Amino acid sequence: MVNFTVDQIRAIMDKKSNIRNMSVIAHVDHGKSTLTDSLVSKAGIIASARAGETRFTDTRKDEQERCITIKSTAISLYYELAENDLAFIKQTKDGAGFLINLIDSPGHVDFSSEVTAALRVTDGALVVVDCVSGVCVQTETVLRQAIAERIKPVLMMNKMDRALLELQLQPEDLYQTFQRIVESVNVIIATYGEEDGPMGHLPVSPVIGTVGFGSGLHGWAFTLKQFAEMYAAKFAAKGNTQMSPDEHCKKVEDMMKKLWGDRYFDPATGKFYKSSNLPAGSKLPRTFVALVLDPIFKVFAAIMNFNKEETAKLLSKLEVKLDTEDKDKEGKPLLKAVMRRWLPAGEALLQMITIHLPSPVTAQKYRCEMLYEGPMDDECAMGIKNCDPKAPLMVYISKMVPTNDKGRFYAFGRVFSGSVSTGLKVRIMGPNYTPGKKEDLYLKPIQRTILMMGRYVEPIEDVPCGNIVGLVGVDQFLVKTGTITTFEHAHNMKVMKFSVSPVVRVAVEVKNPADLPKLVEGLKRLSKSDPMVQCIIEESGEHIVAGAGELHLEICLKDLEEDHACVPLKKSDPVVSYRETVSVESSVVCLSKSPNKHNRLFMKAAPFEEGLAEAIEKGDISPRQELKLRARYLADTHDWDVGEARKIWCFGPDGTGPNLLVDVTKGVQYLNEIKDSVVAGFQWAVKEGVLCEENMRAVRFNVHDVTLHTDAIHRGGGQIIPTARRCLYACQLTAEPKMMEPVYLVEIQCPGSAVGGIYGVLTRRRGHVFEEIAVAGTPMRVTKAFLPVMESFGFTADLRSHTGGQAFPQCVFDHWQILPGDPTDPASKPGIVVTDARKRKGLKEGVPLLENYLDKM
Amino acid sequence: MADAFSSSSETVIQRVVDVRVGQRHPVEELEELYQIKETCDFISEHQFKKVALQFPDELLVDAVAVALEIERNSNAKPFILGDTSYGSCCVDEVAAEHVGADCVVHYGSSCLSPSKRLPLMYVFERRPVDLEKCTSSFRELYPDTHSHIIILYDVNYVHAINDLMALLSPEYPNLVVSELVVEGEQCYSHGRIKRQHDDTCLSEEDNNQLINQFGRQFSLTSGSSITDYSMFYVGQEGATLTNFMMTWNRCSFCSFDPIKMTGRTESVSINRALMKRYYAIERAKDANVVGILVGTLGVSDYLKIIQQLKETIQGAGKKSYLFAMGKLNVPKLANFLEIDIFVLISCPENSLLDSSEFYKPVVTPFEMEVACNKKREWSEEYVTDFRHLLPGGQSYVPLADQQEEGDETDMSLITGALRSQNLMSSVPEVPSFGSSVVLRNQMLTMANTNSAASFLAERSWRGLEQNLGATPVVKAVEGRRGIAIAYEEEG
Repeated sequence: MVNFTVDQIRAIMDKKSNIRNMSVIAHVDHGKSTLTDSLVSKAGIIASARAGETRFTDTRKDEQERCITIKSTAISLYYELAENDLAFIKQTKDGAGFLINLIDSPGHVDFSSEVTAALRVTDGALVVVDCVSGVCVQTETVLRQAIAERIKPVLMMNKMDRALLELQLQPEDLYQTFQRIVESVNVIIATYGEEDGPMGHLPVSPVIGTVGFGSGLHGWAFTLKQFAEMYAAKFAAKGNTQMSPDEHCKKVEDMMKKLWGDRYFDPATGKFYKSSNLPAGSKLPRTFVALVLDPIFKVFAAIMNFNKEETAKLLSKLEVKLDTEDKDKEGKPLLKAVMRRWLPAGEALLQMITIHLPSPVTAQKYRCEMLYEGPMDDECAMGIKNCDPKAPLMVYISKMVPTNDKGRFYAFGRVFSGSVSTGLKVRIMGPNYTPGKKEDLYLKPIQRTILMMGRYVEPIEDVPCGNIVGLVGVDQFLVKTGTITTFEHAHNMKVMKFSVSPVVRVAVEVKNPADLPKLVEGLKRLSKSDPMVQCIIEESGEHIVAGAGELHLEICLKDLEEDHACVPLKKSDPVVSYRETVSVESSVVCLSKSPNKHNRLFMKAAPFEEGLAEAIEKGDISPRQELKLRARYLADTHDWDVGEARKIWCFGPDGTGPNLLVDVTKGVQYLNEIKDSVVAGFQWAVKEGVLCEENMRAVRFNVHDVTLHTDAIHRGGGQIIPTARRCLYACQLTAEPKMMEPVYLVEIQCPGSAVGGIYGVLTRRRGHVFEEIAVAGTPMRVTKAFLPVMESFGFTADLRSHTGGQAFPQCVFDHWQILPGDPTDPASKPGIVVTDARKRKGLKEGVPLLENYLDKM
Repeated sequence: MADAFSSSSETVIQRVVDVRVGQRHPVEELEELYQIKETCDFISEHQFKKVALQFPDELLVDAVAVALEIERNSNAKPFILGDTSYGSCCVDEVAAEHVGADCVVHYGSSCLSPSKRLPLMYVFERRPVDLEKCTSSFRELYPDTHSHIIILYDVNYVHAINDLMALLSPEYPNLVVSELVVEGEQCYSHGRIKRQHDDTCLSEEDNNQLINQFGRQFSLTSGSSITDYSMFYVGQEGATLTNFMMTWNRCSFCSFDPIKMTGRTESVSINRALMKRYYAIERAKDANVVGILVGTLGVSDYLKIIQQLKETIQGAGKKSYLFAMGKLNVPKLANFLEIDIFVLISCPENSLLDSSEFYKPVVTPFEMEVACNKKREWSEEYVTDFRHLLPGGQSYVPLADQQEEGDETDMSLITGALRSQNLMSSVPEVPSFGSSVVLRNQMLTMANTNSAASFLAERSWRGLEQNLGATPVVKAVEGRRGIAIAYEEEG
């Protein structure tokens, strides 16, 4: 049943208007992978009969066992539209054959970095929503990311079989459910999208055919287009049977408008009305209910009630012909067979995808400015905008996929401009590359180009722009992501922004120190194989693996032990990374003298204004910004004094973090000379705060005055750097230091009866609920709460045991929060955190005293 | 005016140095404590004319008395060496040569590192040990009388070891005691120090394995390896014990502290310490510019290791600078912002510096070699004595050939960035002949990076700022007087 070959694909790769790069995104367990299987079955890689059971895109053994997608997987599909359907496509097209590069992504929040990587290389997204549970937190997260990346969404209401069979919803209720989901999806789109932006009309609507309905498990789906065609043929058949594709298209589109919303149908007369109230006083059914849902309900009822006569009648009416083997089936299997035959999911979805999602030609025009860091008129930018295979090569590598060869990876990415071929000499640029410099830049040939198809890879000679590609031989020159080009003056493509942060950490240790190099090698491979995981060696010698959540870490550690390091490991309990901060302005101006006593630094610390740290982390305020612009922004949004805002010496740690060093001195001699030294001391101090050597956050340090030795030899780095560090520590200690802990936003979905259990568990874990809403039309309630990450270990299990397994939480990092209490008091909660951290790092017991840092006049 | 460039001489005189000064010993005890008779015998036997007496800071109080005593009892002129440039455990031959001394007498704790230039005599402190307590805690720590144990000790307790052995060996048949043996031919042996003539470290002798390291010698029964033994250390915790524990990191250690009079199992996980050192290696791999710190002028072969390190570092595409700055402290090292990491060449006991307070880490030559020489692999072995790294040493590994490495890249787990091993060393050799014009290959040319220049480029202040025209001209005004530590008007 293979109905495409690599050669065919290569041929259509050149027809860039007929390519659709799309990802399937949704909340966990809403049925992405199952739905993807029905698309794959349509494209003919696996047998149709097994669609819905195989989870083709779950390539790893643990994915299949756990029934959860962990890695995003790409497959290419080939689909031909009928001539009549081609007319529906409003963008440029090139023949009837379409190449669809589809990426199935994980739904669990812990793996949303995979979604980010998938979105980057695609132009459209199929948003899958379980019509029973509705729009969930992860739906919103991924949709928001998609919109921000300028990815066009279409919607699929999945699991209709559950709504009909389990919940036994009435047609009108079902319509209301659909209507609500469409509305909430559009609210998200409207919130994060630009109205009248370059992408055009974004909201999804059944009327235009961007909403599908169906069941991935049963393998059936439809959009209003399918029914509109049916009825358009029925109502207008008499007379002109020979319509041109354009006329046909117009007719069907008109009909679609009648099938949704407040349109009503009188079955007796076969007439459409805009009101449900007939003059005669009787109520009319909605068109959607009467013309779309009614037939489906009838089929379900007939088959599930084992009414053979009725079934046969319906089948002939619907012109569904069953295979001989299906004819003997009864009940659910028969229902599946019939629905799959009548409304094949692959057909409906592939039509929706090809008709409504943009081609690279369309999408790259408006995505270019979001993708490229360089000027919008250089050769690369023009190449991307025009999707020009003759332009210089631009490839963005969004992630690494492990090969069978241990330690080596396929670089997975998208060709945005030019074309990439085996043996081509390219510039491989990492995220730290700046044009004109040679940092993070390698000039290497591409060893091989390949096509990635689920579990398999196929070698391919070359790949032109607009397509997704795998590259061999560039993995060792990139850490995780990067840009590949042939143009010497090319800038980088923008780095991806992840919606989750690695806040949960585990320390791993080898049993035998001789295995340390193996562990380090393993950590390097692990770090490469996952877009988000962080592997760090700390100064204490600890090897830290940091991930988004417990599940993410569990998978990473398993991979590390079994695939990457291959040595037995000791793992610590998960710990949280903390931040040090201050709560008030320093009580005194702190003075520290240099070791030779000839220089004095006077400084003060103060907490940030609310929202400033977040603004820095988001990149609204950045060290690269133009000075005056930044000062203006700070003055307008955060009430800074413009003069002071212009005298920000630096951000830290690492030159970019959310702490600031500000020069508020007046007329100090030689100040410029020691700036580098003070900055170095600042970077050092904010990276390793005084409490327990954790990063600082949201602290502003002001340099108030400086007295310096007149002779330059006595104010060198050796005198100033350690002094600046001591002075900053003194500032921190005099400004009521505090510890900050990360906090999750938890969304829990469960039946109303079990909500009590949730509150109990949350309260015990210092969580607090801030929103609780009932999911209309269902007994389900959604509870939203803040929960400290520290308290989240074992939360899922705890929650399940207290709610009889009915509650399912999703945790995603939300913000940092001050841990109330004095960290210098070992009995307080932050004190315990500090003591533990100091012990773990092998530091002296107890927070150092102020006397160590503060000097007297 | 001279005060502007240095602190006034008065302050230097009045400066109080924080040193733990011991009690001055009465003259009658000196003879016994400082072994004056043996020392004079040593001097007269070799007819030395000038003798350098090297005292550690805590024994300086007795220095004058000891010197007078020696002068009286021999024909030699003694000179007192105090305030050694590097660790006081090493013999300061350079200082001795300043006075043209014929020999050195070294007092107090010593790392027993061999030195080659001058005849040498060690006189150790005879610190008291309560043998009763020591044996009882030994029995507590090793209830199994058949366990294989090696006894190590601080040099200052050498006088008590024979008595300890006499007490313990009847009960423990598998006890091995280490002896102090100093390499080098000019070292005068006394007490238990024996002169060792052959330089081989491992020799077969009556089927017994002889292990000779850090001036300690002990033999293991044939067929057993050092990992079969436990170590018992007499002395306080400190650099000596740490050094032993790092080197024999597969052995379990117990110690008896004669001052606190307590024995204990050394619970500080040595794995932890090794992991910490491994972190330093990773930092060394990240570094582009390395500072080689000369921390000894006494230990023999220090010049060879400097040369070898320079070559290794260059082979790894890093740049190195050589520093000689005497005793290390934080401000001294922080003066060199462009240095990414320092490597300290010093005696084994002083090599393991805890550098967490330093702006940039300080590593040992062994760690630098692991970072730079691909052929050297991190294994169970940890080498603190740099002489073992030299050609002929027991842990010598030849430098990996650059050619065969290709252009491997590696990721740093500290910065998260890629580091390329060979980028900087691959500066093409300039063809010396011909001046024909060659078209520049745009694709493959890269600007040569010069680490010092690129560092300067990153600095915000690069020298005098003239600000011509921007600075208003003012008449000279009277400024503050004095130095920053105390300006005159501040009183």
